[in-house]
Amino acid sequence: MSGSRKGTQPPNGPPVPNRDPAREVPPSPGGLLTRRSAIRAGLAGLLGAPFATSLGASTATRPLAPGLRWSGRQGAQPDDEIVLGVSAAFSGPSRGLGTELYRGAMSCFGQVNEQGGVNGRRIVPRLYDDGYQPDPCVENTLKLMLEDEVFLLFGYVGTPTVTRVLPLLKKFQDQQMYIFFPFTGAQPQREPPYGEFAFNLRASYGQETAGLVDNFIRIGRRRIAVFYQADAYGRSGWAGVRAALARHGETIAGEATYRRGTQFTSVMRPQVEILQEASPDAVICVGAYAACAAFARDAMDLGLHVPIANLSFVGSENLLSLLVGASRDDDPAYYTPWLVNSQVVPSYEDTSIPAIPEYRDLMDRYDPQVPEELVVEPYDPFPYSFTSLEGYLDAKLLTEILRRIDGTPERSKLNDAVFSVRNYDLGIGEMVSFAPDRRQGLQSVYYTVVEDGRFVTLTDWEAKFGPTATGDDAS
Amino acid sequence: MSQTETHEIRIKRLFRKTRFGIFVLFGAIVFATSTLSIRTVSSQLEEEYESNSANIAKNIADSSVDILLNRNLATLQSLIDQFVEIQSIRYIYITSDTGEILTHTFVPGVPEVIRESDPHATEPVERSLPGMGDFVEIGSPILAGQAGTVHVGMDLDLVRLKIQRATGQQIALICIILIVGVLGSIWFVRLAVTPLEELLSYVVGLARRDADDLNDAKVLTRDDEIGEMARLMLHAVRGEAPGAASNPGSGTD
Repeated sequence: MSGSRKGTQPPNGPPVPNRDPAREVPPSPGGLLTRRSAIRAGLAGLLGAPFATSLGASTATRPLAPGLRWSGRQGAQPDDEIVLGVSAAFSGPSRGLGTELYRGAMSCFGQVNEQGGVNGRRIVPRLYDDGYQPDPCVENTLKLMLEDEVFLLFGYVGTPTVTRVLPLLKKFQDQQMYIFFPFTGAQPQREPPYGEFAFNLRASYGQETAGLVDNFIRIGRRRIAVFYQADAYGRSGWAGVRAALARHGETIAGEATYRRGTQFTSVMRPQVEILQEASPDAVICVGAYAACAAFARDAMDLGLHVPIANLSFVGSENLLSLLVGASRDDDPAYYTPWLVNSQVVPSYEDTSIPAIPEYRDLMDRYDPQVPEELVVEPYDPFPYSFTSLEGYLDAKLLTEILRRIDGTPERSKLNDAVFSVRNYDLGIGEMVSFAPDRRQGLQSVYYTVVEDGRFVTLTDWEAKFGPTATGDDAS
Repeated sequence: MSQTETHEIRIKRLFRKTRFGIFVLFGAIVFATSTLSIRTVSSQLEEEYESNSANIAKNIADSSVDILLNRNLATLQSLIDQFVEIQSIRYIYITSDTGEILTHTFVPGVPEVIRESDPHATEPVERSLPGMGDFVEIGSPILAGQAGTVHVGMDLDLVRLKIQRATGQQIALICIILIVGVLGSIWFVRLAVTPLEELLSYVVGLARRDADDLNDAKVLTRDDEIGEMARLMLHAVRGEAPGAASNPGSGTD
C-alpha cells in the first residue's frame, strides 16, 4: 500500500480509513468484517479472503473534510487489491435492494478472490450506506473518490442517488472515475451529458415500460395509469410509460405518487382512489417494494382489480414477501393474482440457463452477508433473488473487464478494457457487447407473475391478463 | 403632636390624569410602532419570499433548457427535488410549451386546481389547494416560454407563520418597552408626588394649629420649592413678613 494513502493497514486486512473514532468501524480479526466474521476470519486465511471488505460505517451526517482534493494518484491501487467504492441502501425501507445486490456481487467476488483474484489482486469493496437517499450518497461518493481513492464505483442502488452522483463524475472527469452497473434503468447515465461516465448492464426503464405497455395494449388494456415514486426514478419510469403510450397514440390515463421512503404500513387509499377515478385497465408501478406492496394491497382491498405491473427495481421477492405476509382468508395469494413484474435478468428458477446453477451454487457456498457494522435494521435475505442474480452478473462482467486491463490497473485503461468486450457470454443466453456508443450490455426484459408463492415467467399475457381474465388464470 | 403623628395625606386625584395620559401616550406609541413594524416586516418578508421563489423559478428555468430539450425528465425531476427541499417552497412543477405537466413534486397527485390553471402563467397568483393549504405560485418561462414554464409554489401558511413570528418578536419587544416606560413614568411621578404629600400634610397640620410641632417638620428643611412653600405657609400662619421665609432657621430660633 502506498504511503500516501490515508488510513492504516491492519495486518492481513484491507485498509481502514482514519475516521471519527465514534464512527469508525473496528476491523475484525484479519480485516474480515462480515456477519460471520469469526468463522470466516479463519476461512479467509485459507481461501484468500474471499469476503474481505473494507468498511466505512454510514457517515451520512459527517461532513466531508473541507478542501479535500484528488491526491493525483490517478486511481493507483495497492499491489494486492482492487478497491471498489460502493454506496447503497443497507438501511431504510429499501435496504433489501442494497443487501441483495451486494450479496449477489460478493458471491462472485468471493470465488474470484478464492481463486487468487484478478491478476493476483483481490477485489475489495469499500462499503457505505446511503439509505437510498441522494445527499448521503453524494457524501459517500466524495469520500470514496477523495479519501478512499477507490478504483471505480460499483453496486450503487437507485435513480435519485445515482443521478446526483453523475455530476460529480463530470466534475472530476479528468480523474476518469466511472460508475459500473448501477442498479437503475434510468436514462441520465445512458445519455449525454453524463452517459460517458457510466457503464450499464441491465436494460433501461424505458425498455421495461415499453415492454409492459406493448403487452398491455396487445391484449386490449389501453387505459394505463402510473403509480410512481415522486423523484427521479419515478419520473424516469413515468417518462418511459408516456413515451411508450405515445407510440400507440395513447396518453397516461391517470397518475398518483408517493414519497420515497414510504413504508408498507402506510395507507395508499388516496393514491388508489385517484387512479380509480381514471378507470384504468392496468397500472404500472414505478417504485420500491415497500410502497408498491402497500399500493397493491390497498388496490385489492378497495376493488381496483386490474393488472398491477412493477419494474425490476422493485425487488420482487421483497414485494412478494410483504404481500404474502399481509394476506387474508388464509390465502397467501390473496394480494398477488394481478401482479406482473418485469425483470432484467432471467428467472433464477430456470436452471437450464448456464449462469443460474453457477449463481445458485456460489450463493449456497458463500452465503454473503452485509457486514454487521452496516446492519441497523434486521433483514432476512433470500437464498436467491432477481436482485442478487443481477448483482452476481454485474460482478461477473466487472471481473472480466478487470481481467482485460493490461498490466497495472489504471483508470485510464478502463475504457479500452470495457470496449474490448464484444459478444461476451455471461451465461444467460444474451451476448454482451460494449462500444463507445453502446454503454449498456443487456437489452432483454422478462415478465414474471406469482404462482405457488414465487415469481415464474409469464408466457401467455392474454390468458393471464386478457379482458376476460380474473387474474387467477395460470401463467 | 409629634412628627410621626402628622397626618399622612396621599395625593391621588391630582396625578390620576397624568398617569392615564402617560399610559395613553405610550399605548398610542406602541400601537403606531407595532402597526408600522408589522406592515413593514410583513411586506418586506413577503417580498423577500416572493423574490426568492421567483429567483428559484428563474434558476430552474435557466438550467432546464438543455435538460428539457434533451427530454431528460429524470434529471429535471432530480433538479426540482433539490429546490423543493428549501423551506417554504412546497411544490414545483414544469409545464411544456403545450401545457402538459412534465414533472412535479405533488403527492399523492396533481391537484385539480393546478391541472385547470393556466400552464403558461408567470404572474404571482394565490392558490388554495385542498388538503395542502394556501400558496403563492410564481412562474418563470423557459426559453422565453418556447420550452415551457416553471411554476414554484410558496407555502403561504409557512410564510405567514414566519411573519407572525418576526412581528411577534417585535411586538414583544415594544410591549416590554411600554411596560418599563409606564412603570418608570409612575416612579418618576411618585418622586414628584411624595414631597407634595409632605407639604400637604404639613399644611393640614398648620390649619389645625399644631404650631409647636410644626416648627420641627422635616419639610421645612427641604431646600427646594416644597420647603420654600412650607416655610411660607408657616410664616403666613404666624403673620410674619414673607422675606423671613427664605431662612428656614429664623422661624424657629
